[in-house]
Amino acid sequence: MARKLAGFVLACLAVGTPAWAHHSFTAQFDAKKPVTLKGTVTEVEWINPHAWIHMDVKGDDGKVVNWMVETGSPNILLRRGFTKKSLEPGTAIVVQGYMAKSGENKVNGGSVVFPDGKQLFLGGSNPDDPGAK
Amino acid sequence: MRYLYRLSALTTFAVAVVTVSAQQPDAKTTTASKAWKQPKTPWGDPDLQGVWPSQNMIGTPVERDRKLGTRAVLNDEEYAKRVAQQKRGDFSGTLRPEGKFSLAGGWADSGKANRQASLVVEPADGRIPALTAEAEVREAARKKHWQQKHDSPDTWMDLTTWDRCITLGPVGSVIPSAYDSGQEIVQGPGYVVFRSEMIHEARVIPLDGRPHASPEIRSWMGDPRGHWEGNTLVVETTNFNGNIFVGAQGGGFGDPGAVATDQLRLTERFTRIDEGTIQYEVTVDDPQTWTAPWKIAMQLRREANYDHIDEYACHEGNIFMHDALAGARVTEKNAAQAGVQKGVN
Repeated sequence: MARKLAGFVLACLAVGTPAWAHHSFTAQFDAKKPVTLKGTVTEVEWINPHAWIHMDVKGDDGKVVNWMVETGSPNILLRRGFTKKSLEPGTAIVVQGYMAKSGENKVNGGSVVFPDGKQLFLGGSNPDDPGAK
Repeated sequence: MRYLYRLSALTTFAVAVVTVSAQQPDAKTTTASKAWKQPKTPWGDPDLQGVWPSQNMIGTPVERDRKLGTRAVLNDEEYAKRVAQQKRGDFSGTLRPEGKFSLAGGWADSGKANRQASLVVEPADGRIPALTAEAEVREAARKKHWQQKHDSPDTWMDLTTWDRCITLGPVGSVIPSAYDSGQEIVQGPGYVVFRSEMIHEARVIPLDGRPHASPEIRSWMGDPRGHWEGNTLVVETTNFNGNIFVGAQGGGFGDPGAVATDQLRLTERFTRIDEGTIQYEVTVDDPQTWTAPWKIAMQLRREANYDHIDEYACHEGNIFMHDALAGARVTEKNAAQAGVQKGVN
């Protein structure tokens, strides 16, 4: 299913055995399937323990699909530089993260890039991400 | 960068407090500064109210490095290493200190480097005592099952009570987590309520001397009773259900600690030692699990940017449980198809 959805780049990287984290990353997401999503924010759920960004992503076939991006907790996002206005509906964003093992349209978000080039961490939970070392 | 500067500025203060507490962890000896006076509630109890995150202690290991032996305080070299570790773990701002930017999202908050060698302060080696023979067998079975099933669960029962959003237990709720380490104390005449952000706990602690509930009544968070010893709130908790992991948070494979039996007894001491700090101590006693009692000591500190606790929607609409179980089924299906292909070829 993931391969049919364009609009994102799927790259397989060899990574180590992930360690444990709350809501085990490895039970929920696939560290071997990093993904980049380009689209626009449709909704944000500012809830503990993980906020969720909903975004529309247009595939190569022109079809728009809504994706869910798991992030860190709201107070983590606050400390990473987000404000309540950072992710208003319609905001164009590029999210990097990891695909859900279930194959559904969900990712664990690692970082986001805004149109002005600003980058912020999303509180991604892959403990073996190269940047987590 | 601003955060790092603040971290540095706070370090001196942190060292002073931690050095005292690590060497003399008892509340009796963690006396307040002379200039500071313990505030009282309108009804005369010591006032401990406020939000006191344990976040500052992130980075202090539960158990002490064996190389340190009975030395509870880091030397300058060890402390410098901890400061460097904290900087590496600091994801505040938009870039890593070294300028890298990757998928890593900074899931964890960083603490404030201190010289306390371990959260465990008793026994003197700062390590959780050996398990009883019975508990060794129990724990080996639990860890084996966890290793086999945690990343690809057959049922929700294969996941920890943390994964399942049930509870971390009283100790796991207080010791620093990678995130959401908010703690709040609210008082009323005859009661203290201790709230923990993760996972949405509110322990209502009566102070009127009533006896514990019947031994027939068991619960995840136990049955707490509190009383004052001077300005220290002492809370004794019993009546646990025998399913609580006590030690490092969560109870994954390799985490120090174990699932305690229903004979678990916790004795906690909360002492406000200045305007912004509560000295927290908990003695863990379960003779069916550990060969000796052991004690954690640490500081809960006010944080300028952590003045309230958000509501906790732990299951995020049951997304994790769905994703973990559905992901495991997809993995199984893919493996089965790969097996068929292999057979055909």
